[in-house]
Amino acid sequence: MADIKTFYLPDLGEGLPDATVVEWHVKEGDTVKLDAPLVSMETAKAVVDVPSPFSGKVTKLHGAAGDIIETGAALADVEIDPNAKQRADAEATGHHHGPKKSVGSPAPDNASKVVASDDGGEIESNGKPEREDEGTVVGAMVSGNAVHTEQVSSAGGVKAVPAVRALAKKLKIDLSRVRPTGAEGVVTMKDVKDAAANGSAALGAAPARSAAARHLAPELPEPTAAPQRSAVSLAGKPVRTGPPSQAVMGQPEQLKGVRRNMARVMADAHAQVVPTTIVDDADLHAWIGKQDITARLVRAIVTACKAVPALNAWFDGKNLTRTLHPQVDIGIAVDTDDGLFVPALRNADMLDAAGVRGAIKRLRTQVEDRTIPASELSGYTISLSNFGMFAGRYASPVVVPPTVAIVGAGKLSHDVVAVMGGIEVHRRMPLSLTFDHRAATGGEAARFLKAMMDDLAAPH
Amino acid sequence: MAQITLIEAVTQALAYEMAHDDSVVVLGEDVGVNGGVFRATQGLQEKFGELRVIDTPLDETTIAGLTVGLAVQGMKPVAEAQFEGFIYPMMEQIACHAARLRHRTRGRMTVPAVWRAPWGGGIRAPEHHSEANEHLFTNIPGLRVVLPSSPARAYGLLLAAIRDPDPVMFFEPKRIYRQYKEEVPDDGEALPLDVCFVLRDGTDVTLVTWGAQVKEALEAADALAEEGISAEVIDVATLTPLDFDTIAESVTKTGRCVIVHEAPRTAGFGAEIAARLMEECFYDLLAPVQRVTGYDTHIPLFRLEMKYLPSVERIVDAAKRTLAVS
Amino acid sequence: MVELYKLMVSTRVFDAKSVALQRTGKLGTYASCLGHEAAHVGIGSAMKREDSLAVSYREYGAQLYRGVQPREVYMYWGGDERGNDFAKAPKHDFAWCVPIGTQCLHAAGSALAFKIRGEKRVAVCTIGDGGSSKGDFYGAINVAGAQNLPFVAVIVNNQWAISVPRKIQSGAETLAQKAIAAGLPTIQVDGNDIIAVRKAMEDAMDRARNGEGASVIEAVTYRLGDHTTADDARRYRGEDEVKEAWTKDPVPRLRKWLEAKGAWDEAKEKAWLAECDDWMDKEVDAYLQTKTQPVEAMFDYLYAELPADLVAQRQQAIDLDRKSHG
Repeated sequence: MADIKTFYLPDLGEGLPDATVVEWHVKEGDTVKLDAPLVSMETAKAVVDVPSPFSGKVTKLHGAAGDIIETGAALADVEIDPNAKQRADAEATGHHHGPKKSVGSPAPDNASKVVASDDGGEIESNGKPEREDEGTVVGAMVSGNAVHTEQVSSAGGVKAVPAVRALAKKLKIDLSRVRPTGAEGVVTMKDVKDAAANGSAALGAAPARSAAARHLAPELPEPTAAPQRSAVSLAGKPVRTGPPSQAVMGQPEQLKGVRRNMARVMADAHAQVVPTTIVDDADLHAWIGKQDITARLVRAIVTACKAVPALNAWFDGKNLTRTLHPQVDIGIAVDTDDGLFVPALRNADMLDAAGVRGAIKRLRTQVEDRTIPASELSGYTISLSNFGMFAGRYASPVVVPPTVAIVGAGKLSHDVVAVMGGIEVHRRMPLSLTFDHRAATGGEAARFLKAMMDDLAAPH
Repeated sequence: MAQITLIEAVTQALAYEMAHDDSVVVLGEDVGVNGGVFRATQGLQEKFGELRVIDTPLDETTIAGLTVGLAVQGMKPVAEAQFEGFIYPMMEQIACHAARLRHRTRGRMTVPAVWRAPWGGGIRAPEHHSEANEHLFTNIPGLRVVLPSSPARAYGLLLAAIRDPDPVMFFEPKRIYRQYKEEVPDDGEALPLDVCFVLRDGTDVTLVTWGAQVKEALEAADALAEEGISAEVIDVATLTPLDFDTIAESVTKTGRCVIVHEAPRTAGFGAEIAARLMEECFYDLLAPVQRVTGYDTHIPLFRLEMKYLPSVERIVDAAKRTLAVS
Repeated sequence: MVELYKLMVSTRVFDAKSVALQRTGKLGTYASCLGHEAAHVGIGSAMKREDSLAVSYREYGAQLYRGVQPREVYMYWGGDERGNDFAKAPKHDFAWCVPIGTQCLHAAGSALAFKIRGEKRVAVCTIGDGGSSKGDFYGAINVAGAQNLPFVAVIVNNQWAISVPRKIQSGAETLAQKAIAAGLPTIQVDGNDIIAVRKAMEDAMDRARNGEGASVIEAVTYRLGDHTTADDARRYRGEDEVKEAWTKDPVPRLRKWLEAKGAWDEAKEKAWLAECDDWMDKEVDAYLQTKTQPVEAMFDYLYAELPADLVAQRQQAIDLDRKSHG
């Protein structure tokens, strides 16, 4: 079967889209040798003699004198002479500048203005299709006729294109307070400039990211209600216009700082830990004199840790290792308006009652001041949640890895208890112990709780 | 209305400003009669004459030095380096003089000049025609470094650059010179310098980039969206002075950042942004900042070129890596 | 002529005082112009105020003529940018230029600006024998020729580029003939003969001002001092050569000529030297009493308006300074 190869018109200059046949040097049926003159082609710049890339018989010429052939289109077909010298097939370098293809993605379809994309057409000027002179560009540049339009976005409930947002940023204008005059409530460049000129929408103080002074616009009093309540988000839901940095009621507020951290930590804990809870009551009836409850609790935890070290440990679920700790660092849950802090009471096993009281006071102050270093908010070996200060008897608080246990102390109450020979009223403290069952057994937990109860029951 | 490509937007901006401000002149090799090797200055010499569109002798040092002299004497020169690979001889005049004259003369002499150059790879060009060396300029105090990424931004930012009273390096990503068209009214409206453009809003990860890679970043954002990942895309546009606030605001929101640039990785401008994010947004980061960059090697000749340049795939992978960490 | 002589003398007094200040620790590195008085004053005095002068860092004779004050020279070499902010000299004169030869292109650019605006002004640059080897010099004379610019380059050939003697600086027989390659009229004159220098300058300036284009002048003189106060010329040149050069000292040469004409005498010399001393005392005092700029001066004048991103750094510098100095 004859091997017929097609010669496709190569890029004759750098980036030329096509060329015109001036004169064929062969006819169909002629024999042609490799590199012999095949055809003269005229480009935008010059007349170029094109040699034949094959030796063989010309079977088809894909155009007559005067025809325009696009770069990359078929020029001539040659039946290969198997006995004649041929040029080796090289790897395609891909170095053509092909005919105009639209390679840009078409303008996004959404509610904003879209201009229909113009795929693959020629550029029209004065009604005449013009050969595009792409310049003496080196290499091959992809060129397209697709038309893009920048998307209007609704970030922060305000509709504007990126350029308008950037200008607002530069001029320190609060976009949410600019009156939009564009179609469908879009804020235009002019709107921003007008606002800058009449000072009507200056940006309030942004939250300082670093201690160094920053160039800030003067602080303004609370903004008046935005006139355009009908601003609608991309999803079609009504969104009240307020900049993302302000806390606004009734609108999703991005969690930051402590609350954000809590959300992540708790979810993480839930995903890993196998929690089991055991509850009981400590009988404080024998206590002599007024005593600091937290200090007694801390001492009880320390005693129990010594008795059952398995609950004063760190567990690594991935590597299945367990680290028992010689010291007892108790993470004490402290509740604040901003969220939950758990500072570490270090070396609780070495502190006496006064020491515990002092340390806890110091921790509370540091939390309130926010002067507590980040290092003291982690690395504890067991936790305590003294929710009983407010309300609640028993609970199953969350064990935060890598610790394996958390003690929950409920509200003290005077309970009626049955004793040998009758009924008495005793002061009691409900105790909950939640532990990670991957790391400790029920028996260990029960013994731990017993040790705590015994210690708490002691007169001092 | 004008639907034009990026390179046409450059011409449009030059023509507008030259028509409205006599002190604006264009100089460079082949910029006059030939209209520039990329046709950036097409038709300008015809319109404004040889005294305002000047074909200089073949010496980049000469072009750069003339530009300084012209600017100091009150003109607003827009110099062209034919390719950014040829900009190195200009650096002495730029770094030693343009960037310093205002400072070292306490404001007596100023240099309101623009140096334009076709920048970056991806057009299968010969050696030295594909350089991305913006980071060599971002460390020079007193300069502005600006890269447009769309026809509209090319028009608006070039106008701003010409009007700015200080020297501006204006690097035009040649790969997207003609990639698509945009409606760019010839109204003389400049865009602001020194600010980033948030091109796409997102909540899960921030893609920060400039120049031609804005295209890949937007495509990556589309690909990520199909997998339910919402990416915010920021075009830095003015590298220095940097509008870090916009980047920080975004990363504070998303907690994740991927920086994309085609210049080589080490000490590329992405390193600066990554360092700032660490300094100022550390506690808001949910994952280490990723950089998708050119490798620390020379951009290869064109057969391997596209394997060097940051691809949509690499950007998507990097974004996903930030999400794999909690 | 008497005026020119007086200026040569005052330049020498200034120069001696400058070296003394450096040697007593009151000034940083200083480049002496000893021996160049005729060439420098000849150049400066042939220029009109509206012309622009771009010097290297030694041509005080020309600059003093145009209104630069010694205190400004001292502030510059004494480490204070305000020295470059000439109070009395023309604002369109360039500041001292350390990167060798780059000033030639600044002058070419200035000349181009004058040409574009149709102004009858000339841009003059001075350059040393060493500097004439640099690309910027060739580029400048080349473009001055190609564009027919109102430009004059004066090669002040003082025979030494630090330690490199003239004969290994270039294979050209004269430095003036480099202008032939640029197609420019050129002349080599005795740089220690102020009349010759003036004549050559006036011819060149007239040509330029009348639209006849650029010229090059080579003024042959000798560097009687060291390259700068940080240099010791005895390391590389012999005493005999220097002794020989002193016999051609331009100052006594002109004095003899004036005295022969009855235009000068010892009394006038004494009186003038006393006036010069007074003047220098005032200038030195003014310099020594100038307080160092506040630390924020580092940031001021970097851009027309300090970008937001740098405001924090500026404040940091101020705060740190306040802390250490109370």
